[in-house]
Amino acid sequence: MTTRRFWAFIEQEEGHAHPVSWELLGVIRRLASQVREEAEAAGDEVVVEGVLLGHNVGHIAQEALCYGADRVYLLDDPVFTHYRNRPYYKTLEEVAQKHEPEVFLIGATTLGRDLAGAVATALRTGLTADCTQLEMGEVKGSPQKLLLATRPAFGGNIMATILCRQNRPQMSSVRPRVFPMPERNPHPQGEIVREAVSVTEEDALSRILEFVRPEGESVNIEYADVIVAGGRGLGTAEGFGLLQQLADALGGVVGASRPCIDAGWIGNAHQVGQSGQTVRPKLYIVAGVSGALQHKVGMQNSDFIVAINTDPDAPIFDVADVGIVGDLYEVIPAMLEQLAARRKARGSGGGHQEVSA
Amino acid sequence: MSTNEKIRFDAIVVGAGLAGSAAAMVMARAGLNVALIERGRKPGGKNYFGGAIYTHAIQEVLPDFMERRPPFERPVTEAGFWFLSSDGGLTKMMTSGGKLANEPADAYMALRATFDLWWAEQAQKEGAFLIPKTTVTDFIRAEDGRVIGVITDRPDGELYAPVVIICEGVNNLLTQKLGLISHDLVPAHQALAFKQVLSLPMETINARFGLPDAQHGVAASVLGDISLGLPGMGFIYTNKTTISVGLGVMLETLIEYRLKPYEVLQRYLQHPAIAPLVEGGQLLEYGGHLIPEGGWREMPKLYTGGAMVAGDAASMVNALHWEGTNMAIIAGKVAGETAVVAHQRGDFSEQTLARYEEQLREGFILRDMKQYRNFSKFLDTHPQFMDVYPSFLNDALGNFFSAYGKPKRQLFKEIYGSLTGRRPLFKAVGDIISMGRAVLGW
Amino acid sequence: MFHALVAVKQVPDTTNIRIDPETGNLVREGVPAIMNPYDAHALAEAIRWKRQLGGKVTVVSMGPPNFVVTIREAIEMGADRGVLVSDRKFAGADTLATSYVLAETIQAIHEEDPIDVVFFGKQAIDGDTAQVGPGVAVRMGLPIVTYVVKIRELDLERRRIVAERKTERWTEVIELPLPALLTCEKEIAEIPFAPLPDLIRSLRYDPEMWTMSGPLEFDKGQVGVRGSPTIVFKMGTPPLPEAGEKIDAREVGVAEAVKQTFAKADAAGILDTVLGGAR
Repeated sequence: MTTRRFWAFIEQEEGHAHPVSWELLGVIRRLASQVREEAEAAGDEVVVEGVLLGHNVGHIAQEALCYGADRVYLLDDPVFTHYRNRPYYKTLEEVAQKHEPEVFLIGATTLGRDLAGAVATALRTGLTADCTQLEMGEVKGSPQKLLLATRPAFGGNIMATILCRQNRPQMSSVRPRVFPMPERNPHPQGEIVREAVSVTEEDALSRILEFVRPEGESVNIEYADVIVAGGRGLGTAEGFGLLQQLADALGGVVGASRPCIDAGWIGNAHQVGQSGQTVRPKLYIVAGVSGALQHKVGMQNSDFIVAINTDPDAPIFDVADVGIVGDLYEVIPAMLEQLAARRKARGSGGGHQEVSA
Repeated sequence: MSTNEKIRFDAIVVGAGLAGSAAAMVMARAGLNVALIERGRKPGGKNYFGGAIYTHAIQEVLPDFMERRPPFERPVTEAGFWFLSSDGGLTKMMTSGGKLANEPADAYMALRATFDLWWAEQAQKEGAFLIPKTTVTDFIRAEDGRVIGVITDRPDGELYAPVVIICEGVNNLLTQKLGLISHDLVPAHQALAFKQVLSLPMETINARFGLPDAQHGVAASVLGDISLGLPGMGFIYTNKTTISVGLGVMLETLIEYRLKPYEVLQRYLQHPAIAPLVEGGQLLEYGGHLIPEGGWREMPKLYTGGAMVAGDAASMVNALHWEGTNMAIIAGKVAGETAVVAHQRGDFSEQTLARYEEQLREGFILRDMKQYRNFSKFLDTHPQFMDVYPSFLNDALGNFFSAYGKPKRQLFKEIYGSLTGRRPLFKAVGDIISMGRAVLGW
Repeated sequence: MFHALVAVKQVPDTTNIRIDPETGNLVREGVPAIMNPYDAHALAEAIRWKRQLGGKVTVVSMGPPNFVVTIREAIEMGADRGVLVSDRKFAGADTLATSYVLAETIQAIHEEDPIDVVFFGKQAIDGDTAQVGPGVAVRMGLPIVTYVVKIRELDLERRRIVAERKTERWTEVIELPLPALLTCEKEIAEIPFAPLPDLIRSLRYDPEMWTMSGPLEFDKGQVGVRGSPTIVFKMGTPPLPEAGEKIDAREVGVAEAVKQTFAKADAAGILDTVLGGAR
């Protein structure tokens, strides 16, 4: 009997788990269930495991059990106080060699993207980045089901399904919010296994001198839940003030299309599109953007898109879930008004969900 | 390379278009060290537009051109005129076979994006040095005012050469800087050409134009009811998988009647005879282009000490008339040859470069005379032209057939109307075909 | 003397891509090839430091012979030497096989002429994987910083570099020993407009061509398709997004249009989620 291990990397910083970790546990559980029948027939065991690195992060290991891990390997050591590439990848290389997982998923966050390429290279295995669909599927010539990892290519115009036939683990990275958050089980069954840490501070070959926390005009639209974006149709830089009000009401941030950046109306950190950021928020409200491909490829994967434009034939309406043909300077104030009314009705302070827990 | 060191060439060509690369080719072949400066990332750029390329002009510069696999679209195997009537009718006067069946063909359709690139490559093969992504902004002059180099938009961007050939295209800022062309654009002397390139499957184009395959192509001048009854002339021609359609109208007319070029073009495209040909075509590019009206007879002076102007920049190219590409290539060639002569003499003065314009005028006048020689023979055998169509002769020949020579007003509709009023249409058609054969050598 | 190595890739200019309206497929014809923009900014930074410290910049690229254009562009920007690693056997390489060839090449250059900093763009715009830079660092045993927005300090005597790296949460200031590998964001440096003499030099420049037959010996099993653990199983076009409903505010009134919009967002469970309501 062999054990087929399905792994998810549990990402944390400063003792806070990144929610993508739970999303990964949800996916990996589903993948594990897809081979269960085949494994039982062969007398094999299938387990879902999380790997967690950090310092004083036992509470996160416990949380990982709640989100569906059968087992969590915990590597707790001061060397992991802050994420650094070398201590992390060397340790993951070591534990993966020891336990030989079949599938290994890592969140495609800045941290995860930094890490995944290094781990895959160290393990000399294949890695498919930014997958949007994952399945365990039958492939001709393979006795066991393989991970079929589908990702968009060429700005989302083609979907490519990639597989890794020989090398193990089969690795994929997954962007936050591509997959749903699984149910949390407050009384989990699983176990936490503390693994010995062999990497030392000397192996790190890097030192973090300081963290500069953003203040004032800082925006990270890439991972925002709500984006209110404007384009040339705003007419003036001042139009972004109105968008900011709506973004504030929704707990979101302001985005912009390229012409606004080129015109100097707003900083390029706000740019959504092929030459700016690719975003996939839950809600994308876009006003005064005609919908050039360059912009659309950066936002068309948002969960819900509301487009506002005076031109009923604007291409932006092709990707919108709801299109409002009208003047944004009338529509947005009406939105603000109705949101305020809702908040009042609900009696809450209008707070929004903390994303990075 | 030290920045203090001057960059020197024997000759500089500004603009790697039809004229520029021809000039560079001729000079490089004669052993000159030639810089061919191009503003775009590469010659031809993203231009979808094209035109007819006459092989005789190519041949004069590059005798073995067919072996070098030019990226032609279709050969012109059918050429002539379409008359549109206001009631939706279409009368075609087309020639096929005969000289149009020659191999290689006398004329090919080509797209500038691919043809200009190939044409510049031929210049590079002769040894010309192509400098892309660089815009010439001004000239370096000697104390006596002679041009001795150019200034580009790049840091440390001066290049020196005793002779500079300007082939900058229709935005002739440099030609203006040389003081050769006036800044003033008078609407009365300008025509506006506007055109579209529409993409369609090859088989669709073949079927709609009655062509057996992509080795056959149509080039037609379109007259009659194409421009809201206003003076104008259109064209339509087939590429492999695109159709180019466009027309030219006097700028004065557009202003007078407050017409938008796009609307005029739309009306032309919606004419019952044209619409089915272009139906479903995907618009690849739309553009307008001013055509100086004067024609070669009124061309400005084409040279000054150390510099010559060729091609579009010198109003030689006429976006409507297919012969514009010829003129550009031939002018580039003659300018290049003149630069070679200047090098042989070690003299780049205005007097030496005057040879360029002399040769050019001589060449065009000779060609014109040849046409008129045919024409007088034709008149002997078709006396009805003398009897029946005097106004037609005056207007149509004067305005239209002489390479867009000097039309005061191209009232084609009126011409057409007056013509049909005097002689039954079917006979007129036959006469015009005969005349076309005589004058244009179909 | 400073020696920087910059790895560059030639990519189709995806800002210029067109989609065939009938098939929904990418129209590749006529799409210009450019230097991957992130690589171009990384190169600009390398050249800035070269001009400040004195030294040289070497560029390396793996790809077909037409990548010469991109190497020349690097020379135009001020690079001194260009190596194009090109062989038919390299075709079909995934990120693992690519990192093998690049790491071997960079290592060989390093041994003959020690490198202080290896620069990569943070990712290539055609693949967006961001895997090759970290892969090369692992293979060469170099410390790495990704997503670098600024080099604060580059001290050749004390053999250290201090770089700023931007994450979702903050900017990290990291110190690494030299040699080190950096993958860079666009903010790291502006791309300068090259002087004419540099452009002319680049147009005359022929890069060194390294192939399977030399000067390096590459392991056949680690290059191209053979060295790539991943394969493309299938390709497909994503279903074209179905255009949602259009509400004309000029007909139904602005307030009603917003009301209907919010109702749809509610039905999709969106508004509740973002407003933190029904959890």
